[in-house]
Amino acid sequence: MSNLNTETVLEVRHWTDRLFSFTATRDSAFRFKSGQFTMIGLDVNEKPLLRAYSLACAPHEEQLEFFSIKVPDGPLTSRLQMLKPGDPILVGRRPTGTLLLDNLKPGKRLYLLATGTGLAPFVSIAKDPEAYERFEHIILVHGCREVAELAYGEQVVADLKAHDFLGEYAQAQLLHYPTVTREPFRNRGRVTDLMESGQLFADLGLPDLDAEHDRVMLCGSPQMIADTKALLETRDFVEGAGNRPETYVVEKAFAER
Amino acid sequence: MAYVVTDKCIRCKFMDCVAVCPVDCFYEGENMLVIKPDECIDCGVCEPECPAAAISADSDPAAAPWIALNAEYAALWPNIAEKKEPPADAAQWMNVDGKFESAFSPAPAEA
Repeated sequence: MSNLNTETVLEVRHWTDRLFSFTATRDSAFRFKSGQFTMIGLDVNEKPLLRAYSLACAPHEEQLEFFSIKVPDGPLTSRLQMLKPGDPILVGRRPTGTLLLDNLKPGKRLYLLATGTGLAPFVSIAKDPEAYERFEHIILVHGCREVAELAYGEQVVADLKAHDFLGEYAQAQLLHYPTVTREPFRNRGRVTDLMESGQLFADLGLPDLDAEHDRVMLCGSPQMIADTKALLETRDFVEGAGNRPETYVVEKAFAER
Repeated sequence: MAYVVTDKCIRCKFMDCVAVCPVDCFYEGENMLVIKPDECIDCGVCEPECPAAAISADSDPAAAPWIALNAEYAALWPNIAEKKEPPADAAQWMNVDGKFESAFSPAPAEA
């Protein structure tokens, strides 16, 4: 592919033995909307080896940011996890994706439902002032197996609430609901079960899910997507797209197979 | 896994899919597009974009009759990376049955 920029890795942070995030330089001509992904990768045997990665950075930020899992024997992630500041990284010039604020009709509350690394596009949205202008509340729901996997999301939310410019928005409007399935934690269970039972809404002090006022974005494993779509469709949510804004949008979290 | 363009594309050819594909894996025939299966990264962004609902994942039963056709013609037709103007009568061909038998053309798009 000729549509690639070579950027430079700036910082790398390992959150668990399987999760890491990193930042990179951003070409001045690279533009994207919050929630989109682009192809990124490395030259392997003189050919670009690329995978789709959500941009965890906001459109106004100067650096790019990505959140990744380490796939055992994964041809790309086995190399990506070795990245150090100063290393080159290939970044595709054509970001795309379905998780766009523009693909949703106006509403009161925006639910961002993620499992695992599916959190990444929602980090971008939670950093986008546009989201706070369009919705009264942004609810960031992050489901993982273990507490340690929540760490990146917890840091993002803490940083946002302390942010010079976004802090006011985030403190007033951003709600964070992390949950795990395999360990004791203040919230426990699968995202879909917690929505089905109403526990999630009760815990947040919000009304039960309602297609009239709520909008939803999903990003997670194929199983989580299938279960959540089924739940949404029984409540009369309709899938949106670029030419047809609706009440929910979906994207697969690429690393979660 | 990959996504597959079905007969619903024939004579509609809206090309909204091309505008969102991150890997340019669409190939253009005279009156429909196909996806090259080994280039598709399975991101699924194209599926909800099509006004004619012509794209399905290859695991979907609706895609099964079209899997071989996509593989075959993606090897013969030129790549398309930019959305173009759809045919003037595209809307009239939505939800029409039997388009493959009556209207499919194996010819590549004109250069």
